[in-house]
Amino acid sequence: MERKNFLKTLFLGAVSAPAVLAACSKDEADTVTPTSSGTTTGGTTSGSCTVAPTETEGPFPTKVPSSYVRSDITDDRTGYKLTATLTITNSNNSCAALAGALVDIWHCDAEGNYSEYGGTGMQSTNYQSVHFLRGRQTTNASGQVTFTSIFPGWYSGRATHIHVHVYSATGTSLKVTQIAFPEGTGTAVAAVNGYAKGLSGYTSNAQDNVFSDGVAQELATVTGSTTAGFQLNITFAVPA
Amino acid sequence: MTERVITLCYRKIIDAAATRPWDKLVLEDTYNELRIQAQLYNPERRFRTYAELVHHVPGASQLSFLVSGVARGYLPQLGGLVPDVVDNLGRRFLRFSRFQFEIINSDLLDKSRHQVTINFFSDPLTWHATIENLLLVSAAAADPENREILTHLVPLQPFLGIYSIQTPAAV
Repeated sequence: MERKNFLKTLFLGAVSAPAVLAACSKDEADTVTPTSSGTTTGGTTSGSCTVAPTETEGPFPTKVPSSYVRSDITDDRTGYKLTATLTITNSNNSCAALAGALVDIWHCDAEGNYSEYGGTGMQSTNYQSVHFLRGRQTTNASGQVTFTSIFPGWYSGRATHIHVHVYSATGTSLKVTQIAFPEGTGTAVAAVNGYAKGLSGYTSNAQDNVFSDGVAQELATVTGSTTAGFQLNITFAVPA
Repeated sequence: MTERVITLCYRKIIDAAATRPWDKLVLEDTYNELRIQAQLYNPERRFRTYAELVHHVPGASQLSFLVSGVARGYLPQLGGLVPDVVDNLGRRFLRFSRFQFEIINSDLLDKSRHQVTINFFSDPLTWHATIENLLLVSAAAADPENREILTHLVPLQPFLGIYSIQTPAAV
C-alpha cells in the first residue's frame, strides 16, 4: 500500500483507532509526513521530508546507560568487601538459566543507611556517589550477575538483607524479593558483628517480619572472612 | 553596592515539547526508568499517574530519586555548564556541580504526559553590580591578575533565580 493511502485509512479509522494515532505521534522528529501547519521545531519542511534541524550548540549528546548499570556499587561506602553472585532461573522453563534478565539490587551501608532515605535530598556536591549501594546488571548465558559491594550493616527491626528486583529484558517486573543471611556462630553476620554498632538489639531471621515465614528460598550461601572479603551465592527462580 | 557572593538556580523543565537532542534523551530515558522502577510501588498496576502513586503508596515519593540515576548519566555531557542560560553575549558560562532531579507529572501509559525538571545549582559567583535587568557577576573563586576580573552579564529571566547569598564571615 502506498503511504498516502495508508495515511488516508488511518484518518478514516481515526475514531476507532486512537491508540494507533497516539503511537504515531510519539516521536515527531522521525516523521516523514508533510505538515501543513508549518510549525517547525528546529527543522524545516520541504516536499515530503523534514530537513534535519540545525544544532549549533554543543555538547553532542549521546545515549548513555542508566548509572545503575554497573557491577561495583560500593561508591564511597566503606566496609568488608562482599562479592554477590546471583543466579536467575526460569520457573516456567524447567528452572533453566534465564539470560538477559535485568537484576537490581540495593542494600544499606555499614551504619544501616540507604542512599537517599532520610538524607538531605540530591543537592549533593558529589553526585557521583548519591546512589551508593544500588546497581543493575543483565544476566549472562548462565543466568548470572555479579556485584561488588560491602557487607550490609543492619538497622532496627530488620535482619541483614539485600533487596532484589528481577525484570525481564524489556523491564517487566518478574519478582521482588530479598536475600537473607545465615546467622549464628561461625557465620559472616557473626564475623562482621554489626560493624561499629555491635549486634545488641539485632533482629534475627526468625523474628524478622519479612523472613519469619521461612527463609529456605531466600537464604544465601556466604563464605569468606573479614580480611579476605565475603562471597555470597544465591539462586532465585522467577516466572519468566 | 556591596559585593556579595551568590549562587544561582536554573530550573529546567523538560516535557513532550522538548526539541533538543539532550532534552529528548533525558525525557525518554527517565520515562523508561520510571516505568521500570514504579513497578516496585505498583505491583498490581492499580495506579496510572505519578500523582496517584505518590498520593496512595507510602515511599513512592522516592521515585524521583530512583529515576534520577538515569538523568545523572547525562550531566557530564553538559561539560560542567548549566544548559540554556547564556550571558548577554549569548554564551553558556554558568558552572554547576550540584543538581536536583524531580518528576513533576507522569503517566505510566502516556509518555506525552511525562514532565520532569532538573534544578541546576551554580558554583558561587561574586555579584558586583546590577545594570538594568542584568547582573554583573564573576566566578567567586577568580584570582584577579593585574586587578582585572573577567565578568559576565546575566539577564534576569524566567526559571533563573538567586538560590543563596553568602553571609559575610564574622570579623
